[in-house]
Amino acid sequence: MKRKLFIATSLSAALSACSAIGNKLNDSPTFHKVLNSAEDVNEVFIGTRGRVREYTERDISANFPLDSLDTPSDSTYTQLIRDHFASYRLTVDGLVEHPQHLSLSQLQHLMNVTQITRHDCVEGWSAIAKWQGVRLADVLALARPRPNARYVVFYSFDRDSNDTQYYESLSLEQAAHPQTLLALRQNGKPITPDRGAPVRLRIPTQLGYKSAKWVYRLQMVASLKDLYGGKGGYWEDQGYEWYAGV
Amino acid sequence: MERKAVYRHSVATRATHWLFFLAFLALVSSGLQIFNAAPYLDASDKSDPAHRVLSIEAPRDGVGTVTMFGRTFVTTGWLGWTDDGMGGKAPRAFPGWITIPSYQDLADGRRWHLFFAWIMIVSGIAYIIWGFARGDLQQLVLRREDLPKLWPMQLYYLRLRKEPPPHGKYNPLQKLAYTLVIFVFAPLIVISGLALSPGFDAWVPWLTQAFGGRQFARLWHFVLMLALIGFFVAHLVLVATTGVINHLRSMVTGWYKLGPHEA
Repeated sequence: MKRKLFIATSLSAALSACSAIGNKLNDSPTFHKVLNSAEDVNEVFIGTRGRVREYTERDISANFPLDSLDTPSDSTYTQLIRDHFASYRLTVDGLVEHPQHLSLSQLQHLMNVTQITRHDCVEGWSAIAKWQGVRLADVLALARPRPNARYVVFYSFDRDSNDTQYYESLSLEQAAHPQTLLALRQNGKPITPDRGAPVRLRIPTQLGYKSAKWVYRLQMVASLKDLYGGKGGYWEDQGYEWYAGV
Repeated sequence: MERKAVYRHSVATRATHWLFFLAFLALVSSGLQIFNAAPYLDASDKSDPAHRVLSIEAPRDGVGTVTMFGRTFVTTGWLGWTDDGMGGKAPRAFPGWITIPSYQDLADGRRWHLFFAWIMIVSGIAYIIWGFARGDLQQLVLRREDLPKLWPMQLYYLRLRKEPPPHGKYNPLQKLAYTLVIFVFAPLIVISGLALSPGFDAWVPWLTQAFGGRQFARLWHFVLMLALIGFFVAHLVLVATTGVINHLRSMVTGWYKLGPHEA
Protein backbone atom coordinates (compact mmCIF):
# COMPACT_ATOMS: atom_id res chain seq x y z
CA MET A 1 0.00 0.00 0.00
CA LYS A 2 2.80 2.38 0.98
CA ARG A 3 4.57 1.60 -2.26
CA LYS A 4 1.45 2.33 -4.35
CA LEU A 5 0.99 5.64 -2.53
CA PHE A 6 4.65 6.46 -3.15
CA ILE A 7 4.29 5.73 -6.86
CA ALA A 8 1.05 7.73 -7.23
CA THR A 9 2.43 10.72 -5.33
CA SER A 10 5.70 10.76 -7.23
CA LEU A 11 3.89 10.42 -10.58
CA SER A 12 1.55 13.35 -9.94
CA ALA A 13 4.42 15.40 -8.52
CA ALA A 14 6.49 14.57 -11.59
CA LEU A 15 3.64 15.58 -13.91
CA SER A 16 3.07 18.98 -12.35
CA ALA A 17 6.83 19.55 -12.20
CA CYS A 18 7.04 18.68 -15.93
CA SER A 19 4.29 21.17 -16.71
CA ALA A 20 6.05 23.96 -14.81
CA ILE A 21 9.47 23.11 -16.27
CA GLY A 22 7.93 22.96 -19.77
CA ASN A 23 6.45 26.46 -19.45
CA LYS A 24 9.68 27.87 -17.97
CA LEU A 25 11.75 26.41 -20.81
CA ASN A 26 9.19 27.60 -23.35
CA ASP A 27 9.69 31.17 -22.09
CA SER A 28 13.45 31.01 -22.59
CA PRO A 29 14.74 32.53 -25.87
CA THR A 30 17.92 30.43 -25.64
CA PHE A 31 15.94 27.23 -25.35
CA HIS A 32 13.78 28.31 -28.29
CA LYS A 33 16.94 28.72 -30.38
CA VAL A 34 17.75 25.10 -29.63
CA LEU A 35 14.21 23.96 -30.50
CA ASN A 36 14.19 26.03 -33.69
CA SER A 37 17.35 24.32 -34.98
CA ALA A 38 15.08 21.44 -36.03
CA GLU A 39 13.62 23.66 -38.78
CA ASP A 40 17.01 23.86 -40.57
CA VAL A 41 17.50 20.11 -40.20
CA ASN A 42 14.05 19.49 -41.70
CA GLU A 43 14.69 21.90 -44.56
CA VAL A 44 17.91 20.07 -45.45
CA PHE A 45 16.52 16.59 -44.86
CA ILE A 46 13.07 16.96 -46.48
CA GLY A 47 13.26 20.21 -48.46
CA THR A 48 11.24 20.58 -51.65
CA ARG A 49 11.55 17.37 -53.68
CA GLY A 50 9.27 15.29 -55.83
CA ARG A 51 5.69 16.13 -56.65
CA VAL A 52 2.56 15.88 -54.53
CA ARG A 53 -0.12 13.44 -55.53
CA GLU A 54 -2.80 14.73 -57.91
CA TYR A 55 -6.35 13.52 -57.34
CA THR A 56 -9.47 13.07 -59.44
CA GLU A 57 -12.70 15.12 -59.49
CA ARG A 58 -14.32 12.45 -57.30
CA ASP A 59 -11.90 13.22 -54.45
CA ILE A 60 -12.76 16.94 -54.19
CA SER A 61 -13.93 17.94 -50.68
CA ALA A 62 -17.62 18.82 -50.50
CA ASN A 63 -16.89 21.55 -47.95
CA PHE A 64 -13.50 23.18 -48.16
CA PRO A 65 -13.05 24.86 -44.76
CA LEU A 66 -12.79 28.62 -44.60
CA ASP A 67 -9.97 29.37 -42.23
CA SER A 68 -10.03 32.03 -39.58
CA LEU A 69 -8.99 34.93 -41.85
CA ASP A 70 -11.76 37.36 -42.79
CA THR A 71 -12.21 38.95 -46.19
CA PRO A 72 -10.08 42.14 -46.26
CA SER A 73 -12.20 45.13 -45.36
CA ASP A 74 -9.97 48.03 -46.44
CA SER A 75 -11.25 50.45 -49.08
CA THR A 76 -8.80 49.42 -51.85
CA TYR A 77 -10.00 45.87 -51.69
CA THR A 78 -13.73 46.61 -51.38
CA GLN A 79 -13.36 48.96 -54.39
CA LEU A 80 -11.76 46.07 -56.33
CA ILE A 81 -14.66 43.77 -55.49
CA ARG A 82 -17.05 46.44 -56.73
CA ASP A 83 -15.33 46.77 -60.13
CA HIS A 84 -14.92 42.98 -60.42
CA PHE A 85 -11.13 43.34 -60.21
CA ALA A 86 -10.96 45.29 -63.50
CA SER A 87 -8.39 47.68 -61.94
CA TYR A 88 -6.49 44.87 -60.20
CA ARG A 89 -2.78 44.69 -61.06
CA LEU A 90 -0.31 42.09 -59.85
CA THR A 91 2.98 43.92 -59.36
CA VAL A 92 6.23 41.97 -59.72
CA ASP A 93 9.14 44.13 -58.62
CA GLY A 94 12.20 44.37 -56.39
CA LEU A 95 15.42 42.79 -57.67
CA VAL A 96 14.16 42.23 -61.24
CA GLU A 97 15.17 43.43 -64.72
CA HIS A 98 11.61 43.97 -65.98
CA PRO A 99 9.05 44.91 -63.32
CA GLN A 100 5.54 43.75 -64.25
CA HIS A 101 2.03 45.01 -63.65
CA LEU A 102 -0.24 42.21 -64.76
CA SER A 103 -3.98 42.62 -65.09
CA LEU A 104 -6.36 39.81 -64.30
CA SER A 105 -7.02 39.17 -68.00
CA GLN A 106 -3.28 38.99 -68.69
CA LEU A 107 -2.98 36.42 -65.90
CA GLN A 108 -5.95 34.50 -67.31
CA HIS A 109 -4.14 34.34 -70.66
CA LEU A 110 -1.07 32.95 -68.93
CA MET A 111 -3.12 30.30 -67.08
CA ASN A 112 -1.41 26.99 -67.81
CA VAL A 113 -1.97 24.60 -64.89
CA THR A 114 -4.92 22.63 -63.56
CA GLN A 115 -4.29 20.55 -60.45
CA ILE A 116 -6.46 18.65 -57.98
CA THR A 117 -4.35 18.59 -54.84
CA ARG A 118 -4.68 18.32 -51.11
CA HIS A 119 -4.36 21.36 -48.88
CA ASP A 120 -2.76 20.42 -45.54
CA CYS A 121 -3.48 22.83 -42.70
CA VAL A 122 -1.00 23.32 -39.85
CA GLU A 123 -3.90 22.63 -37.46
CA GLY A 124 -4.09 19.09 -38.77
CA TRP A 125 -7.03 18.99 -41.20
CA SER A 126 -6.84 18.41 -44.97
CA ALA A 127 -9.13 19.28 -47.89
CA ILE A 128 -8.94 18.57 -51.61
CA ALA A 129 -9.84 21.08 -54.34
CA LYS A 130 -9.24 21.75 -58.02
CA TRP A 131 -7.01 24.74 -58.64
CA GLN A 132 -6.33 26.51 -61.92
CA GLY A 133 -3.74 29.20 -62.39
CA VAL A 134 -0.32 30.26 -63.56
CA ARG A 135 2.84 28.49 -62.53
CA LEU A 136 4.58 30.91 -60.14
CA ALA A 137 7.92 30.25 -61.85
CA ASP A 138 6.48 31.51 -65.17
CA VAL A 139 5.35 34.83 -63.69
CA LEU A 140 8.73 35.32 -62.00
CA ALA A 141 10.51 34.52 -65.28
CA LEU A 142 8.59 37.35 -67.03
CA ALA A 143 10.19 39.81 -64.61
CA ARG A 144 13.67 38.27 -64.92
CA PRO A 145 15.07 38.10 -61.37
CA ARG A 146 18.51 39.63 -60.89
CA PRO A 147 21.33 37.31 -59.79
CA ASN A 148 21.26 38.68 -56.22
CA ALA A 149 17.53 37.89 -55.78
CA ARG A 150 17.11 35.00 -53.33
CA TYR A 151 13.54 35.19 -52.08
CA VAL A 152 10.15 36.18 -53.41
CA VAL A 153 7.87 37.99 -50.96
CA PHE A 154 4.07 37.88 -51.38
CA TYR A 155 2.00 40.82 -50.16
CA SER A 156 -1.67 40.37 -49.34
CA PHE A 157 -4.52 42.89 -49.18
CA ASP A 158 -5.24 41.37 -45.77
CA ARG A 159 -4.35 42.94 -42.44
CA ASP A 160 -5.02 41.55 -38.98
CA SER A 161 -6.93 43.31 -36.19
CA ASN A 162 -3.71 45.13 -35.18
CA ASP A 163 -3.36 46.41 -38.76
CA THR A 164 -0.32 44.17 -39.32
CA GLN A 165 0.36 43.40 -42.98
CA TYR A 166 -0.19 39.79 -44.03
CA TYR A 167 2.78 38.58 -46.10
CA GLU A 168 4.65 35.37 -46.94
CA SER A 169 7.82 34.33 -48.75
CA LEU A 170 9.55 31.46 -50.53
CA SER A 171 13.13 30.91 -51.62
CA LEU A 172 13.56 30.99 -55.40
CA GLU A 173 14.27 27.22 -55.34
CA GLN A 174 10.94 26.59 -53.59
CA ALA A 175 9.17 29.04 -55.91
CA ALA A 176 10.46 27.05 -58.90
CA HIS A 177 8.48 23.94 -57.89
CA PRO A 178 6.22 23.08 -60.86
CA GLN A 179 3.12 22.56 -58.68
CA THR A 180 3.40 25.97 -57.00
CA LEU A 181 0.76 28.26 -58.54
CA LEU A 182 -0.77 31.66 -58.50
CA ALA A 183 -4.30 30.28 -58.45
CA LEU A 184 -7.17 32.16 -60.12
CA ARG A 185 -9.86 29.49 -59.99
CA GLN A 186 -11.02 27.02 -57.34
CA ASN A 187 -13.25 24.08 -58.27
CA GLY A 188 -13.88 25.52 -61.75
CA LYS A 189 -15.00 29.01 -60.63
CA PRO A 190 -13.10 32.24 -60.07
CA ILE A 191 -11.83 32.34 -56.49
CA THR A 192 -14.35 34.20 -54.34
CA PRO A 193 -13.43 37.22 -52.15
CA ASP A 194 -13.69 35.16 -48.94
CA ARG A 195 -11.20 32.62 -50.33
CA GLY A 196 -8.53 34.97 -51.63
CA ALA A 197 -9.84 36.62 -54.85
CA PRO A 198 -8.62 37.37 -57.36
CA VAL A 199 -5.22 35.67 -56.89
CA ARG A 200 -3.98 33.40 -54.14
CA LEU A 201 -0.95 31.21 -53.79
CA ARG A 202 -1.10 27.43 -53.90
CA ILE A 203 1.99 25.72 -52.45
CA PRO A 204 0.98 22.06 -52.09
CA THR A 205 4.45 20.99 -50.84
CA GLN A 206 4.08 23.08 -47.67
CA LEU A 207 1.47 23.68 -44.99
CA GLY A 208 -1.52 25.87 -45.82
CA TYR A 209 -0.41 29.02 -44.01
CA LYS A 210 2.28 29.59 -46.65
CA SER A 211 -0.36 29.83 -49.38
CA ALA A 212 -1.17 33.54 -49.01
CA LYS A 213 -4.54 34.83 -50.18
CA TRP A 214 -5.48 38.17 -51.83
CA VAL A 215 -1.99 38.56 -53.33
CA TYR A 216 -1.26 41.89 -55.08
CA ARG A 217 2.53 42.10 -55.13
CA LEU A 218 5.52 39.79 -55.62
CA GLN A 219 8.78 41.37 -54.54
CA MET A 220 12.21 39.84 -55.15
CA VAL A 221 14.63 40.44 -52.30
CA ALA A 222 18.10 39.35 -51.22
CA SER A 223 17.18 38.94 -47.55
CA LEU A 224 14.04 38.65 -45.41
CA LYS A 225 15.60 40.28 -42.33
CA ASP A 226 14.37 43.83 -42.96
CA LEU A 227 10.71 43.00 -43.59
CA TYR A 228 8.26 43.40 -40.69
CA GLY A 229 9.20 40.87 -37.97
CA GLY A 230 12.15 39.62 -40.04
CA LYS A 231 11.07 35.97 -40.14
CA GLY A 232 9.75 36.00 -43.71
CA GLY A 233 6.01 35.88 -43.12
CA TYR A 234 3.05 36.92 -40.99
CA TRP A 235 2.75 33.47 -39.37
CA GLU A 236 6.51 33.08 -39.14
CA ASP A 237 6.64 36.33 -37.14
CA GLN A 238 4.19 34.65 -34.70
CA GLY A 239 6.53 31.66 -34.21
CA TYR A 240 5.56 29.25 -36.99
CA GLU A 241 8.27 27.73 -39.20
CA TRP A 242 9.37 29.48 -42.37
CA TYR A 243 10.09 26.06 -43.87
CA ALA A 244 6.59 24.58 -43.59
CA GLY A 245 7.18 21.26 -45.37
CA VAL A 246 6.71 19.40 -42.05
CA MET B 1 23.48 -12.18 2.68
CA GLU B 2 25.22 -9.71 0.37
CA ARG B 3 23.68 -9.96 -3.11
CA LYS B 4 25.99 -10.16 -6.07
CA ALA B 5 26.09 -7.01 -8.24
CA VAL B 6 26.52 -7.17 -12.01
CA TYR B 7 27.32 -4.43 -14.50
CA ARG B 8 24.12 -4.58 -16.53
CA HIS B 9 23.79 -1.45 -18.70
CA SER B 10 26.57 0.25 -20.64
CA VAL B 11 26.98 4.03 -20.61
CA ALA B 12 25.57 4.16 -24.14
CA THR B 13 22.46 2.17 -23.19
CA ARG B 14 21.84 4.34 -20.13
CA ALA B 15 22.35 7.63 -21.99
CA THR B 16 20.13 6.68 -24.93
CA HIS B 17 17.48 5.20 -22.57
CA TRP B 18 17.10 8.47 -20.65
CA LEU B 19 17.31 10.62 -23.77
CA PHE B 20 14.58 8.52 -25.34
CA PHE B 21 12.48 8.85 -22.18
CA LEU B 22 12.91 12.64 -22.14
CA ALA B 23 12.01 12.87 -25.83
CA PHE B 24 9.00 10.62 -25.26
CA LEU B 25 7.62 12.88 -22.51
CA ALA B 26 8.15 16.01 -24.61
CA LEU B 27 6.65 14.38 -27.70
CA VAL B 28 3.50 13.16 -25.97
CA SER B 29 2.78 16.50 -24.29
CA SER B 30 3.59 18.63 -27.34
CA GLY B 31 1.72 16.13 -29.54
CA LEU B 32 -1.44 16.55 -27.47
CA GLN B 33 -0.95 20.33 -27.77
CA ILE B 34 -0.91 19.90 -31.59
CA PHE B 35 -3.93 17.56 -31.48
CA ASN B 36 -5.88 20.27 -29.63
CA ALA B 37 -5.76 22.49 -32.75
CA ALA B 38 -7.96 19.97 -34.63
CA PRO B 39 -9.33 17.63 -31.94
CA TYR B 40 -10.67 14.85 -34.16
CA LEU B 41 -9.34 11.87 -36.12
CA ASP B 42 -10.63 10.61 -39.47
CA ALA B 43 -9.97 7.25 -41.13
CA SER B 44 -9.49 8.87 -44.56
CA ASP B 45 -7.09 10.96 -46.64
CA LYS B 46 -8.86 14.34 -46.47
CA SER B 47 -10.83 15.44 -43.39
CA ASP B 48 -14.26 13.87 -43.60
CA PRO B 49 -16.85 13.75 -40.79
CA ALA B 50 -18.31 10.61 -42.42
CA HIS B 51 -15.09 8.75 -41.51
CA ARG B 52 -14.67 10.30 -38.06
CA VAL B 53 -13.36 7.82 -35.50
CA LEU B 54 -12.79 10.17 -32.57
CA SER B 55 -13.68 13.73 -31.70
CA ILE B 56 -13.26 15.61 -28.46
CA GLU B 57 -15.58 18.58 -28.12
CA ALA B 58 -17.23 21.09 -25.84
CA PRO B 59 -20.83 21.08 -27.14
CA ARG B 60 -21.52 24.01 -24.81
CA ASP B 61 -19.72 25.93 -22.07
CA GLY B 62 -19.05 23.74 -19.06
CA VAL B 63 -19.52 20.40 -20.85
CA GLY B 64 -16.84 18.24 -22.46
CA THR B 65 -17.54 15.13 -24.53
CA VAL B 66 -15.64 12.39 -26.33
CA THR B 67 -17.30 10.78 -29.35
CA MET B 68 -15.76 7.46 -30.36
CA PHE B 69 -17.16 5.38 -33.24
CA GLY B 70 -20.40 7.39 -33.00
CA ARG B 71 -20.90 6.92 -29.26
CA THR B 72 -20.67 9.98 -27.05
CA PHE B 73 -19.37 10.04 -23.47
CA VAL B 74 -19.42 13.01 -21.10
CA THR B 75 -15.86 13.79 -19.97
CA THR B 76 -16.20 17.28 -18.47
CA GLY B 77 -13.00 18.33 -16.68
CA TRP B 78 -10.91 15.57 -18.25
CA LEU B 79 -11.42 15.99 -22.00
CA GLY B 80 -13.23 18.58 -24.12
CA TRP B 81 -13.95 21.12 -21.38
CA THR B 82 -10.71 21.29 -19.44
CA ASP B 83 -8.11 23.39 -17.70
CA ASP B 84 -6.77 26.02 -20.12
CA GLY B 85 -3.25 25.97 -18.65
CA MET B 86 -3.66 29.48 -17.26
CA GLY B 87 -5.79 28.73 -14.22
CA GLY B 88 -9.18 28.81 -15.95
CA LYS B 89 -11.45 26.41 -17.83
CA ALA B 90 -12.00 26.42 -21.58
CA PRO B 91 -13.22 24.36 -24.53
CA ARG B 92 -9.98 22.42 -24.98
CA ALA B 93 -9.58 18.73 -25.92
CA PHE B 94 -6.62 17.76 -23.71
CA PRO B 95 -6.11 19.64 -20.43
CA GLY B 96 -3.30 22.12 -19.83
CA TRP B 97 -1.56 20.00 -17.20
CA ILE B 98 -0.66 17.41 -19.84
CA THR B 99 0.39 19.70 -22.75
CA ILE B 100 3.54 21.70 -23.54
CA PRO B 101 3.19 24.63 -23.21
CA SER B 102 0.28 24.30 -20.78
CA TYR B 103 -1.73 27.08 -22.52
CA GLN B 104 -2.93 26.76 -26.13
CA ASP B 105 0.00 27.53 -28.50
CA LEU B 106 0.21 25.50 -31.68
CA ALA B 107 3.38 27.22 -32.98
CA ASP B 108 5.39 26.45 -29.83
CA GLY B 109 3.93 22.95 -29.52
CA ARG B 110 5.17 22.22 -33.05
CA ARG B 111 8.64 23.59 -32.25
CA TRP B 112 8.93 21.19 -29.28
CA HIS B 113 7.51 18.28 -31.23
CA LEU B 114 9.72 18.64 -34.30
CA PHE B 115 12.87 19.10 -32.18
CA PHE B 116 12.29 16.17 -29.83
CA ALA B 117 11.29 13.98 -32.77
CA TRP B 118 14.93 14.23 -33.87
CA ILE B 119 16.16 13.46 -30.34
CA MET B 120 13.98 10.34 -30.36
CA ILE B 121 15.21 9.28 -33.81
CA VAL B 122 18.88 9.84 -32.99
CA SER B 123 18.77 8.21 -29.54
CA GLY B 124 16.71 5.31 -30.88
CA ILE B 125 19.11 4.58 -33.73
CA ALA B 126 22.15 4.98 -31.43
CA TYR B 127 20.55 2.60 -28.90
CA ILE B 128 19.98 -0.05 -31.56
CA ILE B 129 23.46 0.24 -33.09
CA TRP B 130 25.25 0.19 -29.70
CA GLY B 131 22.99 -2.54 -28.39
CA PHE B 132 23.75 -4.86 -31.28
CA ALA B 133 27.46 -3.97 -31.35
CA ARG B 134 27.83 -4.78 -27.63
CA GLY B 135 25.56 -7.81 -27.87
CA ASP B 136 23.02 -6.51 -25.30
CA LEU B 137 20.20 -6.25 -27.78
CA GLN B 138 20.53 -9.85 -28.94
CA GLN B 139 19.30 -10.94 -25.49
CA LEU B 140 16.28 -8.66 -25.79
CA VAL B 141 15.08 -9.66 -29.25
CA LEU B 142 12.31 -12.25 -29.52
CA ARG B 143 13.53 -15.40 -31.32
CA ARG B 144 11.83 -18.38 -32.85
CA GLU B 145 12.67 -20.59 -29.83
CA ASP B 146 10.88 -18.09 -27.55
CA LEU B 147 7.53 -18.50 -29.30
CA PRO B 148 6.43 -21.76 -27.59
CA LYS B 149 7.31 -20.20 -24.21
CA LEU B 150 5.05 -17.16 -24.60
CA TRP B 151 1.87 -18.89 -23.43
CA PRO B 152 3.45 -20.73 -20.45
CA MET B 153 4.93 -17.36 -19.38
CA GLN B 154 1.49 -15.77 -19.60
CA LEU B 155 0.08 -18.63 -17.49
CA TYR B 156 2.81 -18.00 -14.92
CA TYR B 157 1.87 -14.30 -14.75
CA LEU B 158 -1.79 -15.31 -14.31
CA ARG B 159 -0.68 -17.61 -11.45
CA LEU B 160 -1.93 -20.66 -13.32
CA ARG B 161 1.58 -22.11 -13.47
CA LYS B 162 4.07 -22.48 -10.64
CA GLU B 163 7.36 -21.87 -12.45
CA PRO B 164 8.16 -19.61 -15.39
CA PRO B 165 9.51 -21.45 -18.45
CA PRO B 166 13.35 -21.47 -18.45
CA HIS B 167 14.71 -18.31 -20.08
CA GLY B 168 17.74 -16.00 -20.21
CA LYS B 169 18.09 -12.50 -18.79
CA TYR B 170 14.67 -11.50 -20.14
CA ASN B 171 11.56 -13.64 -20.18
CA PRO B 172 9.72 -14.35 -23.47
CA LEU B 173 6.90 -11.85 -22.82
CA GLN B 174 9.40 -9.13 -21.96
CA LYS B 175 11.21 -9.91 -25.18
CA LEU B 176 7.95 -9.70 -27.14
CA ALA B 177 7.15 -6.29 -25.61
CA TYR B 178 10.64 -4.86 -26.17
CA THR B 179 10.83 -6.24 -29.71
CA LEU B 180 7.46 -4.70 -30.60
CA VAL B 181 8.37 -1.33 -29.09
CA ILE B 182 11.93 -1.09 -30.45
CA PHE B 183 11.38 -2.52 -33.93
CA VAL B 184 7.70 -1.90 -34.71
CA PHE B 185 5.96 0.82 -32.67
CA ALA B 186 8.81 3.35 -32.36
CA PRO B 187 9.82 3.21 -36.06
CA LEU B 188 6.16 3.31 -37.14
CA ILE B 189 5.35 6.35 -35.01
CA VAL B 190 8.25 8.23 -36.62
CA ILE B 191 7.26 7.13 -40.12
CA SER B 192 3.56 7.96 -39.62
CA GLY B 193 4.60 11.40 -38.35
CA LEU B 194 6.67 11.97 -41.48
CA ALA B 195 3.71 10.82 -43.57
CA LEU B 196 1.71 13.80 -42.17
CA SER B 197 4.15 16.30 -43.67
CA PRO B 198 3.25 17.74 -47.09
CA GLY B 199 6.97 18.03 -47.98
CA PHE B 200 7.65 14.41 -47.13
CA ASP B 201 4.45 13.35 -48.89
CA ALA B 202 5.68 15.07 -52.08
CA TRP B 203 9.00 13.23 -51.77
CA VAL B 204 7.64 9.75 -50.88
CA PRO B 205 3.92 9.83 -51.87
CA TRP B 206 3.38 6.06 -51.55
CA LEU B 207 4.15 6.22 -47.84
CA THR B 208 1.23 8.49 -46.92
CA GLN B 209 -1.00 6.35 -49.14
CA ALA B 210 0.23 3.20 -47.37
CA PHE B 211 -1.20 4.59 -44.12
CA GLY B 212 -4.53 5.26 -45.89
CA GLY B 213 -3.91 8.98 -46.52
CA ARG B 214 -2.90 11.97 -44.41
CA GLN B 215 -5.77 11.96 -41.92
CA PHE B 216 -5.49 8.18 -41.53
CA ALA B 217 -1.75 8.60 -40.87
CA ARG B 218 -2.72 11.08 -38.14
CA LEU B 219 -5.00 8.40 -36.65
CA TRP B 220 -2.16 5.82 -36.80
CA HIS B 221 0.21 8.31 -35.19
CA PHE B 222 -2.27 8.76 -32.31
CA VAL B 223 -2.95 5.03 -31.85
CA LEU B 224 0.79 4.27 -31.85
CA MET B 225 1.20 6.92 -29.14
CA LEU B 226 -1.43 5.09 -27.07
CA ALA B 227 0.45 1.79 -27.64
CA LEU B 228 3.74 3.37 -26.49
CA ILE B 229 2.03 4.90 -23.44
CA GLY B 230 0.64 1.42 -22.69
CA PHE B 231 4.14 -0.03 -22.82
CA PHE B 232 5.47 2.84 -20.70
CA VAL B 233 2.84 2.23 -17.98
CA ALA B 234 3.51 -1.54 -17.96
CA HIS B 235 7.25 -0.82 -17.82
CA LEU B 236 6.74 1.49 -14.81
CA VAL B 237 4.55 -1.06 -13.02
CA LEU B 238 7.11 -3.84 -13.56
CA VAL B 239 9.99 -1.63 -12.45
CA ALA B 240 8.00 -0.51 -9.40
CA THR B 241 7.03 -4.04 -8.35
CA THR B 242 10.41 -5.73 -8.85
CA GLY B 243 12.69 -3.35 -6.95
CA VAL B 244 12.47 0.33 -7.93
CA ILE B 245 15.78 1.29 -6.34
CA ASN B 246 17.71 -1.60 -7.85
CA HIS B 247 16.31 -0.92 -11.34
CA LEU B 248 16.86 2.81 -11.10
CA ARG B 249 20.42 2.26 -9.88
CA SER B 250 21.17 -0.06 -12.76
CA MET B 251 19.81 2.46 -15.29
CA VAL B 252 21.81 5.29 -13.68
CA THR B 253 25.09 3.69 -12.59
CA GLY B 254 24.90 0.49 -14.61
CA TRP B 255 25.11 -1.81 -11.53
CA TYR B 256 22.27 -4.24 -10.79
CA LYS B 257 22.04 -6.45 -7.68
CA LEU B 258 20.99 -9.98 -8.52
CA GLY B 259 18.04 -11.56 -6.73
CA PRO B 260 18.20 -15.03 -5.12
CA HIS B 261 16.89 -16.72 -8.30
CA GLU B 262 18.79 -14.61 -10.81
CA ALA B 263 22.06 -15.48 -12.44
